[in-house]
Amino acid sequence: MFKKDRISEIRPELEAIVGPDGVRTGEAEILMYSYDAGMARARPEVVITFSAADQVAPVVKLLAKSGIPFLPRLAGTNLSGGTIPLHGGAVLNMSRLKKIRQIDTGARLALVEPGVVNLELQNALAPFGFFYAPDPGSQKVSTIGGNIGENAGGPLCLKYGVTVDNVEKLEFVSPDGETHTVSYRDAGPDVMSLLVGSEGTLGIVTAAWLKILPLPAHIKTATAAFKSMDEAMNAVTRIIGCGILPRALEAMDKVSLDTVMAGRENPFPPSVEAVLLLELDGDDPVRITKDLDTCHKICAAEGCQNFRMSGDPAEREMLWQARRGVNPAMARLAPDLLVEDGVVPRPLLTAALRETREIAAKYKLTSAMIFHAGDGNMHMHIIFDRRDLQEVRRVKKAGYEMMKAYIKLGGTISGEHGIGVEKRVAMSWLYGPEELEFFRAIKRAFDPAELCNPDKILPIGGDDACGEGRTLPASGLSARASQSPAARGIIDELRVRSGRNIATAVTGLGTRLKRADLGGAQPLDLRALNAAAVIDARNLTARVEAGVRMTDFRRQLAAEGLRLDLPELEGSVGGLIASKAWPDLRDLLLGLEIVTAEGTLVELGGKTVKNVAGYDAVRLMCGSQGAYGVIIAATFALAAGQGQAAAYAKAEPGDFTPGPLQRNLKEQLDPRNLLNPWIYAGTAAAAPGQEAVK
Amino acid sequence: MNGQEQEQEHDIIVDIPAAGEAEAALPRRGFPNDVNELYPHEQAGRHLDTLLTDLGERRLYDAASQCNRCGYCENVCPTYMLTGRETLSSRGRNQFVRLLVEGRAKDPEAAREALNTCMLCGACTSSCYAKVPTPDIVLEGRRALNGYGDNFFARAAINTLLNAPAIFGFWLKLAYLVKKTGLPRLAAKMGLYDFLGMPGLADAEGAVDKVPLRFAAETLRADEELRAVHGKPVNWAYFVPCGPNLIYTEVSEATVRVLKARFGPGVFVDNACCGLMANNYGRLEEAREFARKNIVRFEELRAAHGDFKVIADCSSCAAFMKSYEQLFTADAEWRTRAKAFADAVCDILEFLPPEKAGVSDPEALKKAGKVTYHDSCRACHGQGIRQEPREVLRKLAGKAYRELPESDWCCGGAGAYAFTEPELSAKVLDRKLRNIASVQADTVIVGGTSCLSQINAGLKTAYPSARAVHYSVFVDELTRKK
Repeated sequence: MFKKDRISEIRPELEAIVGPDGVRTGEAEILMYSYDAGMARARPEVVITFSAADQVAPVVKLLAKSGIPFLPRLAGTNLSGGTIPLHGGAVLNMSRLKKIRQIDTGARLALVEPGVVNLELQNALAPFGFFYAPDPGSQKVSTIGGNIGENAGGPLCLKYGVTVDNVEKLEFVSPDGETHTVSYRDAGPDVMSLLVGSEGTLGIVTAAWLKILPLPAHIKTATAAFKSMDEAMNAVTRIIGCGILPRALEAMDKVSLDTVMAGRENPFPPSVEAVLLLELDGDDPVRITKDLDTCHKICAAEGCQNFRMSGDPAEREMLWQARRGVNPAMARLAPDLLVEDGVVPRPLLTAALRETREIAAKYKLTSAMIFHAGDGNMHMHIIFDRRDLQEVRRVKKAGYEMMKAYIKLGGTISGEHGIGVEKRVAMSWLYGPEELEFFRAIKRAFDPAELCNPDKILPIGGDDACGEGRTLPASGLSARASQSPAARGIIDELRVRSGRNIATAVTGLGTRLKRADLGGAQPLDLRALNAAAVIDARNLTARVEAGVRMTDFRRQLAAEGLRLDLPELEGSVGGLIASKAWPDLRDLLLGLEIVTAEGTLVELGGKTVKNVAGYDAVRLMCGSQGAYGVIIAATFALAAGQGQAAAYAKAEPGDFTPGPLQRNLKEQLDPRNLLNPWIYAGTAAAAPGQEAVK
Repeated sequence: MNGQEQEQEHDIIVDIPAAGEAEAALPRRGFPNDVNELYPHEQAGRHLDTLLTDLGERRLYDAASQCNRCGYCENVCPTYMLTGRETLSSRGRNQFVRLLVEGRAKDPEAAREALNTCMLCGACTSSCYAKVPTPDIVLEGRRALNGYGDNFFARAAINTLLNAPAIFGFWLKLAYLVKKTGLPRLAAKMGLYDFLGMPGLADAEGAVDKVPLRFAAETLRADEELRAVHGKPVNWAYFVPCGPNLIYTEVSEATVRVLKARFGPGVFVDNACCGLMANNYGRLEEAREFARKNIVRFEELRAAHGDFKVIADCSSCAAFMKSYEQLFTADAEWRTRAKAFADAVCDILEFLPPEKAGVSDPEALKKAGKVTYHDSCRACHGQGIRQEPREVLRKLAGKAYRELPESDWCCGGAGAYAFTEPELSAKVLDRKLRNIASVQADTVIVGGTSCLSQINAGLKTAYPSARAVHYSVFVDELTRKK
């Protein structure tokens, strides 16, 4: 009763903004917005449909004022229950905001509204000879807004990066109803990247400036069929390891192959257990042919039975249709589908696949595997019928076990589908309490009243009861043991200073911080954090301590035949990240270990190239200038072989004046303003939330 | 958030049964859903027993449950594309029927808007990997709505058409006369055109002068060459659908000429209405009766003439006759007979192979200007006919042929849709007209008579230099020997 009333109370005001047709509370609308492509269900109280982007802010403001929860929704195709209104309230239907406002091939940007369907954008760009790289399997129906919310990937993201790498700027409405425009190039902490993949829990995107790229002049596609998945995976690791970066490198197992090939002519011999779909692109046909030849040789050496190059566009289209069709084709076999989305370091794919299959077999489930092999991102498709409650239970258990297996292998639980509500419980297996608290602080900074898509991503009280508690090695305290003595020293020092309320000036190597007046803060020198980088050549990642000079780090990589795709930059690793000396550095940064103002070690990100579990705090730290935490180590994605260092255009952002969003974050992450206090001088504890409330 | 706030029930993986429902009461896999909860048992005759889906014979509940909500159909659903409302989407309609069957949606009336706005175009099914038969599911849902198919006019008209077609014809001619005598509004008010699924005609500016006073069936019956004579070998049998019979007689004339010229001797079926209108108006029992009449007639002809294809020149009609078996799944005897009939049905769009297209007259081709092809929903989605007519048209029109963007976007005619949902229908049509204009077409070829009237009505106001022409008429015009 009370719930109905709270909508009727503001109904006239809502209708004044979006028109009477835009506000619907009928039973039909409530039912139809109580589901999405996942399994969770909950009823909203009202569905608000916008017909113009500028209606969003006033509606959000009104809802926030009335304490009514809300969440944005577009095509409703997400696979993790992200668009389910767990606390009722309002579903904000953005799907009519579907204008492509501008395509600027000169600046290589497209300005679009959130409801633009991914494929429609591709079709609009093609006549200009351009494309937008993220191409999730659902691109025919999923929207840019949804892609941003989930940080969608797709086959092409191996070479071109996931959604966050392809967004230049965002306009969004924060949960208090204010409109902001943020770019990852802005001086200061990277709020834009934090928004991407936040599943509508931090704000609502109303416009996006997307990076667009010229279509490559040449594309060559090949398929390689193997008798075993292990052989196929070995080939993948070797192809990436020799410095070839395919446009896409996808794998399918026999079940998925049989499913999508049903009714078509199957070009592969019956003994085939795994097929790789390999695609190279570029403007130099000679180079592509040479690389494809190398791939052929590698595959043959790994036992490939059948390597077909297809120059025929129709055949290429057929192969891609088959690849994209796996997910929906499973619908023919059973009416419900659970898609696991785990990512593991590439060399561990074989092990992860084996475990995944064993778990599926143990629970007697029918499952098919397709995956972005080049990224180590696996999509295990388990089919079932939700009307069979026994089976649902088995599926649930199997899903949990699979996620635990990925975590154990050093991977993550979601590479591109998001956490939503369905994988929420697994967050406390993946992260320790320190990391979860860090994420919660971020959420509080944006949405203190918990109104914006509440109870998503982060585990809530009841979640522990669902699982068996945390059984996996935690990060946090035990992870501390893996730190070098110097790093442990820094942690202890910060803890002591926090206890005594002593402010700290993070000086690093002193390359950038030339300030004479430290506002009474005690300097913290990170020179001692200089242990040699730990390089995982097979996975193409390296962990390096923050005090190491970039030039030294590169020298060490070069000795192993590896490189960082960055221009020559001066200073320490930590300093470069904290100052955002090169904004695109974010693309190579996989993980960060930071120490908070309280002296708590927090491990963000990891060793996998894709990770959408939790907020993108790694990128948030880019440009944070030491004020949100002290970076003590970083993990980078490497490239193999020779490459050309990009020319170093001066890209260092200018002076940083914190805006309300950054201030709110500071208040949550360092409420006593202990780290580099001059940056946020006069705000923090002295005047809590002034900016935000105003 | 405190506890009371969370009165909303939710679970991580599986949803909670509606209040009061015990878990055990939920149907499980392997349980035939014996009691279809959509309607009381005594109403069974008014519903389909099972649906013949791409994945086999299914109960309504299982057919609807096959949808895994992937959402790939949303982008082809005209009503979703125009409104952005899940409630008016193919996925939503399926879910609604499922929720109704499961008893989670309590009030079927809430589903009325969702179900009634469906144009039954079937684009969703085409895009669906599991080929969930949404139009059939929607029709079943509609049949469960109170009063659906029970209004006086639908009942009276269908009964007359079924039991006394001559009276129906008389009545229709009367309406035409009313229209001819300058009272088109009155004719429109009588709702006849809407009932016939051609509301475009009701438009005062519509084809006022084109209404026939001699129906095609009468002309065909008089045609010696088409008479059924025992033992006469025939290569085809012409089935005249209501559109070409009662309104667009020139279509049936053209079809017969095209058939005669290319396929030799044939016969006129002298059929009843295919039953589609009764089916779509919720009168399933009458639809079966129409079907039985046609099946019996077909069997008589078979006995007299041996094997032949039944050619129809309205795609809606052909598609429906191809699905006759579904009407009789609970009746073993009629089911077999219906299947034999359905297997013989052939749309004129698919019957003509390109090598028999003929040679086009340059004069007529010039007159046709730029030619494009609109995929009538019941041809492309209903029967999977896409390539066959295009091959013929490319051959006949050559360089003058161009592809229509979004050629399988519904025109909004969709039976009585334009009448019941004028606003949506207009928007759907608008997009079709814009696409036609974008290729600067002069002649738009269609396979359904509903499309013919809808698109022509639209073109008349928005783009008068172009006209929609039925496929048969176009082929005939281009290749007729002078």
